[in-house]
Amino acid sequence: MSALTKSLHPDEKIKAGKLGQKMTMAGVGIAVVFLGLSILLGATHGDNWKRFLYAYVTGWSYIASIAIGMLWLVMLHHLTRSRWSTVVRRIAEAMTGAFPLIWLAGLGFILPVALGYKDLYYWAHPDAHNAALNPTIVHKAGWLSPGFFALRYVIYGMVYSGLSWYFASTSRKQDVTGDPALSTQMRVVSGPGMILYGFTTCFLAWDVLMSLAPKWYSTIYGVIYWGSGNIAAFAALGLIVLWIQRNGRLTHSINEEHYHDIGKWMFSFTFFWAYVQFSQFMLQWYGNMPEETNWYKYRMFGEWQWISIAMLACYWAFPFVFLMSRWTKRIVPSLVFFAVWQLVFHWLDMYWNAMPSYDWLVASHGGASIVQGPLAGNIALHHVGFTALDITVWLGLIGVFLAGTGRGLRDNLIPVKDPTLGLSLAHEVM
Amino acid sequence: MSTETHIEEPALPAQGELYGYLAEYDTPGELVEAARKVRDAGYTDFDCYSPFPVHGIDPAMGIKRTILPLVIFGGGFSGALGGLLLQWYCNAHAWTWNISGKPTWSIPANIPIAYECAILLSVFTTFFGMWAFNKLPQVWHPLFRLDRFTRVTDDGFFLGIEARDRRFDADKTKTLLQEAGAIALEPCYYDPDPKTRMMPKWITAFIVASTAFALIPFAIAAKARNSHSAEPHWHIFPDMDFQPKAKSDTANDLFPDGRTNRGEIAGTVARGWLENDDVLYHGLENGQWTTGFPKTHRDGTPFVVDAKLLARGQSRFNIYCTPCHGYDGRGQGMIPERVKALGGVWQARNLVEAPQADGKGGVVIQMPNGQLFNTISNGYNTMQGYAAQIPADDRWAIVSYVRALERAQNASTDDVPADQKGAVQ
Amino acid sequence: MSIEAEVPHEPGKAREFFRSVTKDVSWIAEAPKPHKLWLLALTVAIAMFGWGLFCIYKLVMTGIGVWGNSNTVCWAWDITNFVWWIGIGHAGTLISAVLYLTRQHWRVSINRSAEAMTIFAVMAAGLFPLLHTGRPWFAWWMIPIPNDMGSMWPQFRSPLMWDVFAVSTYMTTSILFWYMGMVPDLATFRDRCANQGKNIRAAIYGVVSLGWRGSARQWHRYERAYLILAGLATPLVFSVHSVVSFDFATSQLPGWHTTIFPPYFVAGAIFSGFAMVLTLLLPLRYLFNLQHIIKQEHIHAMCRIMLGTGMMVGLAYGSEFFIAWYSGNPFEQFTFVSRAFGPFWWAYFLMVGNNVLIPQFFWFKWVRDNNILIWALCICINIGMWFERFVIIATSLARSFLPSAWSYYHPTRYDVGVFVGTIGMFLMLFLLFFRFLPVVAISEVKGAAPEAHAGGPSKGGHH
Repeated sequence: MSALTKSLHPDEKIKAGKLGQKMTMAGVGIAVVFLGLSILLGATHGDNWKRFLYAYVTGWSYIASIAIGMLWLVMLHHLTRSRWSTVVRRIAEAMTGAFPLIWLAGLGFILPVALGYKDLYYWAHPDAHNAALNPTIVHKAGWLSPGFFALRYVIYGMVYSGLSWYFASTSRKQDVTGDPALSTQMRVVSGPGMILYGFTTCFLAWDVLMSLAPKWYSTIYGVIYWGSGNIAAFAALGLIVLWIQRNGRLTHSINEEHYHDIGKWMFSFTFFWAYVQFSQFMLQWYGNMPEETNWYKYRMFGEWQWISIAMLACYWAFPFVFLMSRWTKRIVPSLVFFAVWQLVFHWLDMYWNAMPSYDWLVASHGGASIVQGPLAGNIALHHVGFTALDITVWLGLIGVFLAGTGRGLRDNLIPVKDPTLGLSLAHEVM
Repeated sequence: MSTETHIEEPALPAQGELYGYLAEYDTPGELVEAARKVRDAGYTDFDCYSPFPVHGIDPAMGIKRTILPLVIFGGGFSGALGGLLLQWYCNAHAWTWNISGKPTWSIPANIPIAYECAILLSVFTTFFGMWAFNKLPQVWHPLFRLDRFTRVTDDGFFLGIEARDRRFDADKTKTLLQEAGAIALEPCYYDPDPKTRMMPKWITAFIVASTAFALIPFAIAAKARNSHSAEPHWHIFPDMDFQPKAKSDTANDLFPDGRTNRGEIAGTVARGWLENDDVLYHGLENGQWTTGFPKTHRDGTPFVVDAKLLARGQSRFNIYCTPCHGYDGRGQGMIPERVKALGGVWQARNLVEAPQADGKGGVVIQMPNGQLFNTISNGYNTMQGYAAQIPADDRWAIVSYVRALERAQNASTDDVPADQKGAVQ
Repeated sequence: MSIEAEVPHEPGKAREFFRSVTKDVSWIAEAPKPHKLWLLALTVAIAMFGWGLFCIYKLVMTGIGVWGNSNTVCWAWDITNFVWWIGIGHAGTLISAVLYLTRQHWRVSINRSAEAMTIFAVMAAGLFPLLHTGRPWFAWWMIPIPNDMGSMWPQFRSPLMWDVFAVSTYMTTSILFWYMGMVPDLATFRDRCANQGKNIRAAIYGVVSLGWRGSARQWHRYERAYLILAGLATPLVFSVHSVVSFDFATSQLPGWHTTIFPPYFVAGAIFSGFAMVLTLLLPLRYLFNLQHIIKQEHIHAMCRIMLGTGMMVGLAYGSEFFIAWYSGNPFEQFTFVSRAFGPFWWAYFLMVGNNVLIPQFFWFKWVRDNNILIWALCICINIGMWFERFVIIATSLARSFLPSAWSYYHPTRYDVGVFVGTIGMFLMLFLLFFRFLPVVAISEVKGAAPEAHAGGPSKGGHH
């Protein structure tokens, strides 16, 4: 028999104590070790840091998408007055608290581009501005210019950091005052916040990932990035919650009902990702216009087809079929398995988005040898070319994410005076 | 909780076998508590009845989770598979048809329908599976005999223990239900008439009748397939079969000659086909074969004999003339070669033959341009006319090329420009 | 909804509440005489439907030429109306399925009527693809059945065939979902009719309620099945409007071929559907005294959803424009400039004004409290969403690749007549539904009320 509402268990440990510091320390440690190693590997890779920066964009898109996904959860929670998520909201807020640090880390690839590095984004390469070869890049040269690009990056960072700061700090204020009007206020802000968030996320994805192949375009691209990020965001949320519980906190407040909901969201976004990804693929495949199909050509044939097949099988089909069941989401070890699984394959998704642009064609055009950019030339010459660098940069940036998240894990780990807390504690999935 | 329980006297005049006891509770919460007590007492053949699904009653009664989801998964899976199979059979096997160059078996385009089929079959499995597991429809049930039970869809919360439960004991069961806080308790009997335990007859009759009725169209179709009729078939929608128009080659009263087809009006010339330039179209100038070339092309642009025209002439000549006359114009094309190979003797006209000293031979070289043009257009002896295949402009281009060929084939070193003579010798 | 309110514990109090819910909904169907305004509305609806039937008769007997469609603008009102109606239907599924899955309990007051709306809207939608073929009696060619035409089979690689499967699956699912949800309430009607001695009605309701007796074991499977149906209807509703968007987006026509179309169409569908739900329910709520079941806070929630989906649609308009410029494709750029400033500029501004600007009113609480204003705004949104589809279809076709084929579109009275006819049919069916069937999910309203937990350990305490 269950009740509609519960109060916090008297023995519950809700204070973070040193937990956040522990996570930050661990994060900093991981970041220093792996990014240090990556710099070593990158310097010796012998391609003027190109591989390093491609791996960096991949890893950065990865951690950014997780924080972006959690910001969505926080705002959705307020907008819909969700009940199940109140108990995990503080942790989600902590994850969005990583934004400033993530944006600082992003300077790792933004600064080189702004300062004239030309081998990461083809549009930053002088050869890209050959009007006969790349009329469409010349057309948008003002938009895709290092200065404006960096400026937009700063704006995105300010929007995300500002929103996450507002929700986290207001939520903490409520811990002290217990004023239910703060909930209403956050709800009101979530509306416009969501719109700002939508625009920012679309443009972020278009800028950071889509412009790696500057001649290709897809309106749905931002939605796919966001959907994919949310799979990883909920997976990460589940793992961090579990880690906190293993450290003796919130053991009474969060139970398999809440894990079940986290699993449900993971499942929903796994489906959603497949839906939007299929929409993009199918429309471009069916429309069969060369400027669009080019992007898929290099992913459907040659070495990259195996990565595409792996994504279909492992990022979608396998978790989709198994997460359908109620039990895979409620039994914690199984949920942990799928969370880790999806976190790994979300990285592969980012890799699949960014890395095929790594190989650039250099060929003669109008008598001169010219860099013709990514996704051109013989498919057989485009290699997946996994390097240790790809992994170490990723792990290093995960360290950055953990360091940022740890900062938010302080004081109360649960919004103790949120009016919906009682309902959330008593939450039950039918 | 009420302490006094009102026990109804059997309300029905004729009673059959006892179905069980039905107790009513005041609130959903009390129903859940009662259910837990009944379950703890070891009963298994009991059920709760309520106007809405009562929260927490499943664990209280010890209801196991239904296996319905598993069945539905099977339904959905077979739907997807069936959808793919259907599309494969129709478009890649039975009726392969090229659609905008896409493969006949093109998975991306087949996914939407496979997906819809998966959903459709899942939905069917859910809907029909649920009713089947619930043993519904069943519009005859002993509980429906109780007036009180009509409130189960309004505000009544009931718990019924069936007499077939192995722990059922009229007194003990009653006491248990009362102690659990029942506000009313009532026995429920089967109708003494055993027929009422089955589907009412009128429903059976209705099902049989409607099934029979539904078969009528099939019967008519079956009959139609096996019979012949001289009557024309019905045109419910005429499908433009009968249009108020005159079809070609039919009789028609409208015209004096009684035919639908109308001939051309004498002297009609289609736009752009007047062709009144004698030189260009007939090679004639003042009634004589012209020795020059036309002044303009068909489109009115000036006619200039230049390298471009010769190139055009060469390409036309190589296409149309070489099979007989050969690339060099000496009349030894592929067809004469073939005739020779078959043992025959025939040669096409040598176009470049120079006239001999006695004036014999060299027919073509001596022909005026206009006559040469006329020969290409209308043929000569066994040669057919090419006016239908080669537009006039191109025929003139051929004339110019033949003239060049004649010159080239009969050239001497004198024709070579002085500054290049050395190279030739 | 105040879940934490004191749960009544006095004997009989909870049952009294449940009785009142039953009565509030059942009286509509039990009233001996219908409301005069209801009769008036039904008459108008039937007249509109009749006029529509006449226009359909003329259309079928004469041919598509009676419409304003031309070689250039070969799809016009027909497909616009189809997409518009389908979109309206989607709000019903969203309310009944998506809000169920996300546990938005306020849905219980409106889900039944929204589901009914879905079914009638899909019926209206289905007419248009059928009619626009010109020879609707060959519709069976779209179904894969063995035939005597040299093994001719449907061409499954065509998005138009996907439509057939998506829409018919949607129709079937909606009907089953609606009916399944209604069975317990039909049983309520059955029992009430039996108590009032209306035996014929009781027998009819008895048969269609399948002998439902509200047993906990039945409820258990019923609830699982309902949850799963909701879980199936949600991806279905996404797929249906995505497939509808594929009709356009798989082509190469500028303005049609863009990858955002599937989610953008879905958001637009939900947006227009909620507008239609409110358009229908606001007057009927007054007419049948349902204010205490369809509460003002439910209307607030719907206004917020319209605001949100309106913004999503606005985001999509913006994305399309930006990517049209970003692509560097001159045809794309031309089409979008021509949409906003070309000959159909007025339609474009009706679309943006009604879909992006009008919902901004919903930011204000005083607007969300003024039901007459909400109703007017919803009508605007209905119009705006119709124009969205018209703008997509007509402007892209009227100014496509071949300037010599450019043209303008003028509707004829048969275009208007068939459209008005489907509105009439829709209203007629909805009004009949409101009179004869349980218009609110009685059992769900009871189950979602605090009284559903009466007598249990409802307050505080940890387990």
